Amino acid sequence: MFSYLLRRLLFFVPIVAGVMLLTFALFFMVQSPKAMAHRVLGPKATPKAVELWLHNRGYDKPLLINQIPDQPWHDSLFISQMRRLATFDLGRSDVTGRPLSEVFRQGALPSLLLTVPAFLAGLAMSVGLALYLVFIRNAAADLFASLLCVALMSVPVMVYVIFGQYLVAQVFNYFPAFGFQLNGWSTAKFLFLPIALMIVSGLGADVRLFRALFLEELGQDYIRTARAKGVSSAVVLLRHVLKNGLINLITLVVASLPFLIMGSLLLENFFGIPGLGNVLFTAIQMPDFAVVQASVFLGSLLYLGGLLLTDLCYAWADPRIRLH
Amino acid sequence: MSILKKIRRSALLAAVFLCPMLGGSCSNNPYPAPTQETGADGSPWKVRYGALSEDPRSLDPQVCYDTVGKRVIEPVQECLLEYHPFKTDPYELQPCLLEALPERVAGEGGKTTFRCTLKSGILFHDDPCFPGGKGREVVATDVQYAFQRIADPKVECPALSTLQDYVAGLGEVFEAARKSGEADYSRAISGLQVTGKYTFEIHLTQVYPQLLYWLAMPFTAPVAREAVEYYDGKAHDGIARDLFRFHPVGTGPFQISEWKRNTRIRFVRNPHYRTTTFPKDGWNPARAAELEPLAGRSLPLVDEVCMTIFRESIPIFLLFRQGYLDSMSVGKDAFSSLITPGRDLSEKYKERGVTLHRDTEPSTYYMSLNMEDPVLGPNRKLRQALSAAFNTPTYLDIFYNGVPIVAQQLMPPGIAGHKKEFRNPYGYNLEKAKALLADAGYPNGRDASGKVLELTLDTSGGSADERLGAEFEQRQFEQLGLKIKVVENPFARLMEKLDQGSFQIAAGSGWGADYPDPENFLFLYYSKNIPPAGKNASRYKSPEFDGLFDQMATMENGPQREEIVSRMNALLAEDVPHVLLMHRSLFSLSQPWAPRIQSNPMLEGGLKYAVLDPRQRGELQKQWNSKSLWPIILLLVVFAAASAAGIRAYRRN
Repeated sequence: MFSYLLRRLLFFVPIVAGVMLLTFALFFMVQSPKAMAHRVLGPKATPKAVELWLHNRGYDKPLLINQIPDQPWHDSLFISQMRRLATFDLGRSDVTGRPLSEVFRQGALPSLLLTVPAFLAGLAMSVGLALYLVFIRNAAADLFASLLCVALMSVPVMVYVIFGQYLVAQVFNYFPAFGFQLNGWSTAKFLFLPIALMIVSGLGADVRLFRALFLEELGQDYIRTARAKGVSSAVVLLRHVLKNGLINLITLVVASLPFLIMGSLLLENFFGIPGLGNVLFTAIQMPDFAVVQASVFLGSLLYLGGLLLTDLCYAWADPRIRLH
Repeated sequence: MSILKKIRRSALLAAVFLCPMLGGSCSNNPYPAPTQETGADGSPWKVRYGALSEDPRSLDPQVCYDTVGKRVIEPVQECLLEYHPFKTDPYELQPCLLEALPERVAGEGGKTTFRCTLKSGILFHDDPCFPGGKGREVVATDVQYAFQRIADPKVECPALSTLQDYVAGLGEVFEAARKSGEADYSRAISGLQVTGKYTFEIHLTQVYPQLLYWLAMPFTAPVAREAVEYYDGKAHDGIARDLFRFHPVGTGPFQISEWKRNTRIRFVRNPHYRTTTFPKDGWNPARAAELEPLAGRSLPLVDEVCMTIFRESIPIFLLFRQGYLDSMSVGKDAFSSLITPGRDLSEKYKERGVTLHRDTEPSTYYMSLNMEDPVLGPNRKLRQALSAAFNTPTYLDIFYNGVPIVAQQLMPPGIAGHKKEFRNPYGYNLEKAKALLADAGYPNGRDASGKVLELTLDTSGGSADERLGAEFEQRQFEQLGLKIKVVENPFARLMEKLDQGSFQIAAGSGWGADYPDPENFLFLYYSKNIPPAGKNASRYKSPEFDGLFDQMATMENGPQREEIVSRMNALLAEDVPHVLLMHRSLFSLSQPWAPRIQSNPMLEGGLKYAVLDPRQRGELQKQWNSKSLWPIILLLVVFAAASAAGIRAYRRN
């Protein structure tokens, strides 16, 4: 187990380095550092002001390898940034100069307040509804629910957001249409609507998937045995199908856990929640390469961490699996 | 507990939770409670609510240049001079931190000295950077420090490139700091001489009357050295301090009391503010009844301002309709709901007491034509034909809802030299355009060999709107029989192309006034400002224009200057280094309880003049935000029906 963990962790290094190189290449292939400076400084910036901006942020260095005579080969933009990231120094925003560790720290909580309840409640509702549909399978209500799920899946998230904001916040006046305030339980009034929309927008796909998983489980031999012994349908579903079906869910669910911290780009923007989705959205729009780079760095670490966690959980939940 | 009981209990809990939350106890007001309920005199605490599109990038007065930053810093950081809130035709400067407008002393060889005297007794905001947390008095050395910061390469002051050409010694100090890598603040700038506690002189190397406008910008505003040194972004005694660029310490009517990144910025009134009072004149006589009662009153007129950051425009409209925003700009998303085809406010909003304002920015937008291009440069008739082929009124109708003004000249309204009666001789006229094209050697868009003339149009971005805009522009020129190749560029790439001169026709060019002087527009075509030196992107070179510019740039406004500006306008109109498009105008709305007071587009909101009737707002907000109960009942019925169906199914099994 230990050697497996160590091996997986060592694999992280080349993978993250590769991701960073790819991000660097993609970003600067799309636009040069000079173009980024133009964007940040605006159309009135003179070429001299652009040069000064680049120099103060080290963007006037060679991109990958320094081939300027009398200068060390490793004094390049990419290598200096990688050396910094290797020590988990995220640096400062290119646009505002704020330390990125502070930016990410401040953005993580609002994101988690939105995504964790939505994830947990969404999961509970999806599993509950999927079980219910399995319970009444092939009935008219099951058919209707399947159609409803397809309809829910087909509606773009943006439509849910605009419609929800208009109807619930504007017409019914139940919740603030926009805004966020971290203040104990009263924070809930800003989160209720985006959480509800996040759940509804993902419900159709999740229910369909979980229903299929549970139906597959229902066809197993041990279920037939349980039924033959006279166990009721409800108990079969809640005790056996649910428990064994959850092992399959682990692979789907655990890998997505680390991403909860990255928030929801769309909902955060439309509801004014100052989370990390909002930070990333602004950084891409600007563009702020330092923020994008740090986000990709953290995102790739989270993704790899999620995959590792999935494997560990799978081995824990299913005794047939052994990690070597 | 049986499964049935669990389901019943969950349903009950959900009902208990939902009913009070949706039905009444949950307010849809998105704002935190005001800092205070009442003022010191017992009057209601007045809070204005506004919108920002993003966080300001920097509130360092020597750096702040973007629209959002300027809006946020204006109420916090006062300048040496300021714009009169009502005098806009022509614009007029008035003293702010200075006692009076600077006294100008002419020297030898065009050298000029501006003698300035600061008002005494003006205090910086109370702030921990000062001993005891009490703001100290503003003195002349604070202005000297501001100029030293302009010359510090690490500060990145956008005004440096212009001011170093005029203020003695500024460029030398900058170059020395750039070479050594560190600014030496013990080194004085010869062009800024402190002559007393409140007095200082600015020495210019050449005549430059526009310096007065720079004194009305935050770049030259006094800065407390203690504040810059205190807010260094590092931890002190375990507490991390902000950077100075996020914590301005000014003398303005408001102080920033809270800045939640990506959420909101709140300002509270500066209790020591006494720099200026409400003007006693200058307004339109039609507004006398409204404004006379305010004349001479202490400022600001409200106690608190809360600016919320909206990255999307739809929520702005929602909050305005609920009465939670006091004003808003009319964007594309809400245009058809608010504005009638006759460009008036819709009846529904008139009944609510909302007022519509139309503001024209001192700006001009155009398409640049490259004068160094071998096809366009030497062929004036061809450029004239392109200009005459472009149907600007239709373009503005389609893409800007017909709100902006069609630009007939480079100078926007309100700037000296703008002639209302002047008409662009090469404005839209397709027949004339075709004739001009034939004269240019391209009848029906073909050259002598019969080959179709192909030109490249560089545009910015790849959004749906921008793509449609580019298609429209392409179609306009292709009406002449030409072939137009459209190249979409990211904004920054287009800027690079403009700087490098690697384009033929470039869309999306424009200029908003830094200050309301014709020099600030005409310098866009001065040959010494061809990039990289400046922003003459068209690379226009005309000895006559340059001569007139040299003459006009240093003159005071008056009939003689206007005559020269008219001649320069005529030269540009005939030479056509651009296809003129518009002077940008915007519609904005204000709620009945928050009528707009100031009307000067050179001010960034003029928050110190803002007024508010909190009682009327309270009443109307209550009326506009009543809750409906039927959706809750419907929701509970659906929930109960689903639970009952589940229970029945369970029992059957």
